[in-house]
Amino acid sequence: MSGRVIVITSGKGGVGKTTTSANIGTALARAGKKVVLIDTDLGLRNLDLLLGLENRIVYTIVDVVEERCKLRQALVKDKKNPNLCLLAAAQTRDKSAITQEQLKTICEELKKDYDFILVDCPAGIEQGFQNAIAGASEAIVVTTPEMSAVRDADRIIGLLEAKEEIQSYKLLLNRVRPNLIKSNDMMSVEDVVEILSADLIGIIPEDTGIITSTNKGDPIVNDDSSLAGKAYNNVARRIMGEDVPFMNLEEDNGVFSKVKKFFSGLIGKEK
Amino acid sequence: MRDIFQDLFNKVFGFFRQAEKEENAKDTAVNRLRVVLMQDRTNLTPELLEKMRGELIELLSKYVEMDKDALELNFEQEGNQMALMLSIPVLRAKDEDEIEAETESSEEESSEQAGEKPEENSEEPAEIEESDAESEDDSENKESNTNSKDKSK
Repeated sequence: MSGRVIVITSGKGGVGKTTTSANIGTALARAGKKVVLIDTDLGLRNLDLLLGLENRIVYTIVDVVEERCKLRQALVKDKKNPNLCLLAAAQTRDKSAITQEQLKTICEELKKDYDFILVDCPAGIEQGFQNAIAGASEAIVVTTPEMSAVRDADRIIGLLEAKEEIQSYKLLLNRVRPNLIKSNDMMSVEDVVEILSADLIGIIPEDTGIITSTNKGDPIVNDDSSLAGKAYNNVARRIMGEDVPFMNLEEDNGVFSKVKKFFSGLIGKEK
Repeated sequence: MRDIFQDLFNKVFGFFRQAEKEENAKDTAVNRLRVVLMQDRTNLTPELLEKMRGELIELLSKYVEMDKDALELNFEQEGNQMALMLSIPVLRAKDEDEIEAETESSEEESSEQAGEKPEENSEEPAEIEESDAESEDDSENKESNTNSKDKSK
């Protein structure tokens, strides 16, 4: 078996890299694929929390690199899905604890036994980013329809293009608010795609369910009634090569009329 | 039924609110981003752009007589690549004797640059299409490929 190594990156912090990693990983595993999630955010690990695995971590990626354990021993199995496991970041170390070469070796090793290796990248464009992309051949650039996130995504795309090993990158537009787009208060999906001129792999609507699912440590793709969950599932299907049309977020009136009321409250506060 | 009215009200209200504003928040964001990204992607400062403009005028006026004040030099986005667009209002093309005389005089002035200039000339008039970001042709034209290279810096 030779798995695909995909790095999930964004430049800017707080746009949803870790949420995206957890959800795409879970969705792929639910579809029967063998998946490893690697958290490369040394010192600021969070992927374990989103998966509800924080109490099960014995060894981290730094333990593997410093040969205190075997790679297999450091892989934490997901509670619900036996196809999914996590290689956690060390919380007490900084980005210099691993090198690009070491991460590359780990990815090569995991490729033999797994279909997908998803690398959750830290924010920024420094060493942590360089480490995270070292073993990857594909990338998903997460951004939101906000100026700063789009600008940072553009920087990241420039860096990915300069990296020969990255064969393709796709854009994932997160936290989209259809009603703000409708009222011309937010950039539309088309605007962002045109500005960054990158291929789109997913559009994820803003969803309060993300907050509760994070609190529970249970990715939102496990909730079949959630719109964001469905959108993440569609991303996973597209990664597996299926041709899934993008959801028309405005058509989903049943859910959105409820969500809309919540949003209009938010807009009122923001202005 | 109530929802429909509410929706209608929002739309009507939104329309008037929009009419009041000259530009909506979305357009402002798109326009500001375009400008910022152009600067980010090229690394070219306005001073350098001005210098380039001056040198291009000097070079091109050897061959054509043009309206120097109307010369425009801008970056434009074309799909996934940036293009340097140069628009020159040409008044009259010079004849061979004039060109020869100009070339000779400039060769005397700067024998070092003379070798480079005709080469640049063949690439630069009207527009420089940056090489396709996806194709793998970086090794050869590192000099001219400002787009994808400078984006990475």
